[in-house]
Amino acid sequence: MADVTLRGVHKAFGDNPIVRGVDLEIGSGEFMVLVGPSGCGKTTLLRLLAGLEQCDQGEVLIDGKVMNDAAPRERNVGMVFQSYALYPHMTVRENLAFALELRKTPKAELDARVNEAAQMLELEKLLERRPKQLSGGQRQRVAIGRAIVRRPSVFLFDEPLSNLDAALRVQMRGELMRLHARLQSTMIYVTHDQVEAMTLATRLAVFNLGKLQQVGKPLDLYARPANKFVAGFLGSPGMNFLRGRVGKGAVAGDGFSLALSPRYTALEGREVIAGVRPQALTLSAQGGVRGEIEAIERLGTEGYAYLRTKVGTVVARFEGGGAELKVGDAWGAACEAASVLLFDAASEEAIAVQP
Amino acid sequence: MTRVGGVAAVKRAIAIVTLACALFASGVRAEAPPEKTRILVWHAYRAAEETALLMLIDQFNAAHPEYRAEALALPYDVYPSKLSAAIPTGHGPDVFIFAQERVSAWARDGLLSPMDADAAMMPGEFPEAALDALRSKGALWGLPLSLKSVALYVNKSLVPVAPVNTDEMVALAQKLTDPAQGRFGLAWEAGDFYHHASWLSGFGGKLFKEPEHRPVVDTPEGVAALTFVRDLMRKKHVMPEEPSAQLVATLFNANRAAMVINGPWFAGEIHGVDYEVVSLPIVSATGLPARPLLTVEAALVSATSEVKDGARALARFLVSKDASILRAKIGRQVVATRSAYDDPGVGGDTLLRAFRKQAESAVPMDNTPAMLTVWEPYKRALTAVLSGLLEPDEALAQAQRRLNAIAKPMPPPASPWPLLLLAAGGILALSIWIRRRPVRPDAPALYHDVRRAIAYCTPAAASILVLVFIPFAIGVGLAFFHHGEGRYTFVGLSNFVDILTSRDYRITEPMSFWFTLAVTLAWTVANVVLHVSIGLFLALLLRDPLLKFKGVYRVLLIVPWAVPNYITALVWKGMFHRQFGAISALLATLGLEPVSWFTRFSTSFAANVVTNTWLGFPFMMVVSLGALQSIPQDLYEAAEVDGASKWAQFRHITLPLLRPALLPAVILGSVWTFNMFNIIYLVSGGEPGGATDILVSEAYRWAFQRNEQFGFAAAYSTLIFLFLLGWSALTRRVAREPSPEAA
Repeated sequence: MADVTLRGVHKAFGDNPIVRGVDLEIGSGEFMVLVGPSGCGKTTLLRLLAGLEQCDQGEVLIDGKVMNDAAPRERNVGMVFQSYALYPHMTVRENLAFALELRKTPKAELDARVNEAAQMLELEKLLERRPKQLSGGQRQRVAIGRAIVRRPSVFLFDEPLSNLDAALRVQMRGELMRLHARLQSTMIYVTHDQVEAMTLATRLAVFNLGKLQQVGKPLDLYARPANKFVAGFLGSPGMNFLRGRVGKGAVAGDGFSLALSPRYTALEGREVIAGVRPQALTLSAQGGVRGEIEAIERLGTEGYAYLRTKVGTVVARFEGGGAELKVGDAWGAACEAASVLLFDAASEEAIAVQP
Repeated sequence: MTRVGGVAAVKRAIAIVTLACALFASGVRAEAPPEKTRILVWHAYRAAEETALLMLIDQFNAAHPEYRAEALALPYDVYPSKLSAAIPTGHGPDVFIFAQERVSAWARDGLLSPMDADAAMMPGEFPEAALDALRSKGALWGLPLSLKSVALYVNKSLVPVAPVNTDEMVALAQKLTDPAQGRFGLAWEAGDFYHHASWLSGFGGKLFKEPEHRPVVDTPEGVAALTFVRDLMRKKHVMPEEPSAQLVATLFNANRAAMVINGPWFAGEIHGVDYEVVSLPIVSATGLPARPLLTVEAALVSATSEVKDGARALARFLVSKDASILRAKIGRQVVATRSAYDDPGVGGDTLLRAFRKQAESAVPMDNTPAMLTVWEPYKRALTAVLSGLLEPDEALAQAQRRLNAIAKPMPPPASPWPLLLLAAGGILALSIWIRRRPVRPDAPALYHDVRRAIAYCTPAAASILVLVFIPFAIGVGLAFFHHGEGRYTFVGLSNFVDILTSRDYRITEPMSFWFTLAVTLAWTVANVVLHVSIGLFLALLLRDPLLKFKGVYRVLLIVPWAVPNYITALVWKGMFHRQFGAISALLATLGLEPVSWFTRFSTSFAANVVTNTWLGFPFMMVVSLGALQSIPQDLYEAAEVDGASKWAQFRHITLPLLRPALLPAVILGSVWTFNMFNIIYLVSGGEPGGATDILVSEAYRWAFQRNEQFGFAAAYSTLIFLFLLGWSALTRRVAREPSPEAA
């Protein structure tokens, strides 16, 4: 177990900056998820931590020691690759034991640790097989087992579930959570899937364009996103954004008007972007947001309707089967004043107001 | 289709193939009968000599309307075997042109018509030596067309007056030699017995002991002649070392060799040098002239010709005065016919006259098969002495021993029945096994369209049968025969017994099978290890993602592979030359003494290995490169995180993952190298003393340089085959071990 610190880390490939000044503290035993869209630099950050890349500027500290120039094997980190990177010519047992053999671990201890990992991941019956004879989920577990046997101070996961089917992914998420509970190790986990991020993380770091956008507990980020990007990235379907101006007790724009909580009165006249999660926006005959139904997603007990409004498509929730809804009908949507967030129209930063 | 139906279809297909073969064979036999009486002439002439021959045939046809003579040019290397095969069946030529070297054997085998009467019609026209060359068992078997021997070419700007005796020649040569400048007084292919024979006769030596006509080389005269030449090269340094035909020509054309011993063909290679040709000098020590070997090209008439009168008329016409004048003028031949030199155009030609004069005193080369056994042992003796490895008497004693082994008596004939019964039993057992083998359960589905399958397979199967299996079976069968004097005798296993017991040689001597096998194995292992390690090393370098101009390097490194291997072999052979080779020059710039590469086993073997490594590493590099590129990069990253150093990554990731691709390449490479004839034959030539010969080159020598012992050579080849068969069976087992691809 160890804490990990990044200080002002920069990394570019050629003229193409990938990580642009990241500061991040990861506490010992945390399950930190790095999340962001493709190309945001999260995988590169993980490889910088593993020592597979060297950073151009800044410092990488593991357990308080600067590790910038340390080779991967000097960092005592375990990594699970997106492709699993299992050694195809070795059996599962040999794959698990490889790192220990390189360290010349005594035979008895080596066997004990391999068996322990195999038992933990339910691999006991597969130990003599080769990777080609395993299913995707089994390979995934071997890859995790390979990291476990070494008892590293930090685990690094690079999108480990992206090659699995949906059902298996859900199952593996649960196993990973149990594993973390059991090992209590520092785990750093990269994904672009916000559901994975929300469910696994003790803390979440959202990246975009090589910069850290916000870090915090998943629900804090969900409820109080620091900017429009974080607000839009977390949650599904994504948050609705409506460009308008703050008026008396409401924010209004072309063809819409939403009630605002009184704490925003000071902002009157300011150009803003209003953000409302689809879950909070209820489809109603009246409602401050008016539009024509473009598409309907019926999920059974509830559903989402896509309204074409003058400020773009807005997604609103409805209860029940929505049998009365028809594409092309004019509808409205409304929400409680408390669930409307405001972002600055220019900087797209959240506008924080004292409650 | 059922299994029974399949078998019936196979039988039908066999019947069709048999029928086709029969038709084909009968088509070959059914030749159209000649309308006019045709006289077929075989020859191996090229260029001007061919032109002259064709003009003469036209003249003959014009003068003899009843005949139609036709010429057919054959490649020289297949010529003798074609003659031996075609004449007994009556499909050969009526007249053919060949040198005297096989006259005895052909006369013995009844291929030739005697020509005494024809020669008697032209008394005094031919030198006695030329007629002697064509005699066997008291009869004359051909009419001499042209005479070939070496003589002395002198560069007139360096040698105003040609030397009369060897004292003068040596004094002159010493004056004109400056080894520092690469200038020599004398040059000839001293390592070749054809050239050396002149000195042997000059010192009073003879090659055969009569009356048993056995080659004897370890004579005092032989030692004296060899000592004389050795001293010229190694003590007086008036001759270049390791002189090849090409080196001799280069030196003479560059005015760096004042006197050269060579034949009439050399005149065409001289450019820009004012020269004359004179007879070889008198050997001062004995007072005898140095008499070169005389080769006589003759017109021979086939014993099975159906137009013997016409054929003999044509042969007489070709040696007649007028025809000889034309052959001399157009074909530039040193014609044998004396009266042709009365023509001012021929008699006034100094080159032709000089060679004709030399021919008068030349020694006709023996025309019996025994002569064919002399070349290799004598050449080895010459090379050993001229490179300073052995003293002349030691070298000739060794050559004699070698000759005795080559001319070993025929083993007693054996009865073929035990072996035939064994073979028949084996075939029977095999066919029973094939019939009783369980049929695969999915066979009907696999073979449901047997007829079409057989139709598609037949052409390939027939070609393989004709091109591979039949020659192979004949080769193996030959191993049970002894070939001598043109006859094959069944001798059972005695060839194998002789080889495996190393009957004539201790197993530590180069001519023993076991010594050669050991050399072959060392050769194969050394090569494969070097090919794989260099190839793999270069492939690892080329994989480096930061390397620029990768494509250029890759192409350059594959070039050695793209060049035909005999060309590479000859280039390296030239580079290993002690005096003029690039490697000696390189050593000299490093301040090192030049190495005489082919006089010691270690250096000679190394030279072979270096050459073959140059040829062999690109293949392994290409194979490794392909296999390396298929190893995912993230395996290395995973290993790095797991704590593997670069070396551990190579050992635990790269090597095991290369194995499936590299192993077949190694097996293939080892078989290729085991049988790499070209390099051994062209680079070291087996020097010193046959020590660097491998099994294939040794088999070749038994067949073509040692009295045509085809059976013995076939037994060698069969042993090579069995050895490689065992090797591939062994490696197949290793290769079948589970690999990641197979899993």
